[in-house]
Amino acid sequence: MSGVPIDLVAELLRASLAAWRLAGEAHARDGAIVIDLAGSERSVTIAPKPDDAMFRWLVTVDGRKRPAVSLLAVLRQVRAALDPDFAATRVRVTVAPLLV
Amino acid sequence: MAAQPQIPVSVLTGFLGSGKTTLLSHLLRQPELSRAAVIINEFGEIGLDHELVAASDDTVIALTTGCLCCKVRSDLTETLHDLLRRLDTGTLPRPFDHIVIETSGLADPAPILHALMTDATLAERVTLGSVVTTVDAVAGEGTLTREAVSRKQVAVADRIVLSKLDLAGGDAGALLRRVAALNPGAPTLRATHGRIEAASLFADPRPNAKPDIDAWLAHVPAKWPPVRRQGHAPLNESDAHEHGHADHDAEVRAYTLVRTAPIRAVALTLFLEALAEHCGADLLRLKGIVNIAENPERPAVIHGVQHIFHAPAWLERWPSADRTSRMVFITRRIPQDWVELLLDAISAEVKCVAPAGPAKIAASW
Repeated sequence: MSGVPIDLVAELLRASLAAWRLAGEAHARDGAIVIDLAGSERSVTIAPKPDDAMFRWLVTVDGRKRPAVSLLAVLRQVRAALDPDFAATRVRVTVAPLLV
Repeated sequence: MAAQPQIPVSVLTGFLGSGKTTLLSHLLRQPELSRAAVIINEFGEIGLDHELVAASDDTVIALTTGCLCCKVRSDLTETLHDLLRRLDTGTLPRPFDHIVIETSGLADPAPILHALMTDATLAERVTLGSVVTTVDAVAGEGTLTREAVSRKQVAVADRIVLSKLDLAGGDAGALLRRVAALNPGAPTLRATHGRIEAASLFADPRPNAKPDIDAWLAHVPAKWPPVRRQGHAPLNESDAHEHGHADHDAEVRAYTLVRTAPIRAVALTLFLEALAEHCGADLLRLKGIVNIAENPERPAVIHGVQHIFHAPAWLERWPSADRTSRMVFITRRIPQDWVELLLDAISAEVKCVAPAGPAKIAASW
């Protein structure tokens, strides 16, 4: 198990859909999270890892399973599956000292 | 050879006609800016603003090749390098210890800040000073309504100057509320006929000066009513956090995340990474003072503009007895509840993966 309350992750995914301006819902169901995107046939499920796995989450998109090592990876995979316009921006840390 | 002190570069921005040049003209007559070099960006082939600024020697430079934010990497950084070269070779009429960039009224300030934050060779010589935004008390409300760039100029400011109050008849209550909603952490000051004290606008550039963070934290209430969430209880009572959010314009929202429990360093890193990855362009500004679990005696100060962050700076000590983590967000359409949940969920996962124990934080983090 991932150890993170599944309801919390479902709520995060629900809020993520809203933040990404995607109309849809995320429900906790049978120990996993199912995402229903309005007007989309795409099936997305997020489940905690099996006990013996090295990863933490299993993201299934249209039957294809992919491991995710963290919630960050879950979000990345889910958004890539649901949002064709998504282009991730990588964080960049400056060389300049912090303004204080 | 001793390292040269870094020269603060302050940015003066504000929409067209909001009084930037008038303000600058008065500021340059004050002792605090008597040794400032000025870069004025004018939009159009024939620049006039630089002629209007009081100081009229070679330390006032006009960039008339276009809007600064569009050509920032070439024009601005080249100009700064050139200024520094001339300072080093003694070929300026007088040396300078501060640089002020007046942007064009149409400029998005974010790329300008990015250029100042990310040019490695510039970073050795200059440091980002204050971002000052002028808002016209007469036309400001209409401008904020119509022009997205003017909202962004207000959103990224460290200080906001309300100009033309004499023309507005002194009643700027609605505008002040609107500006405060866009950027509650920035003090709003009033200029009378363009006059204002330079010391109140620009952070103290001296080494070991008191951090400017006090100024904006002072304007952010530490305690706000809790946000009610559906279907999920706080992780534990000590982590029950309190939130707040300002009234906001349709797009730009300002709010603060407050956490009483210390935040693990890796959780903060992942949180910032997720924010940058999913909404970098809409994260207009983030400033915060954070209680890092691995180093609770020294608060970390974080600062980011869109997807670009400074490495955290560690203060010697907490500025007060309040050790809550406070992160001020100014965003464009990033819901607060998502940001809250993101930090909660990432913190919960980090807690599961690596239960807290004695750990030394990497000096390079």
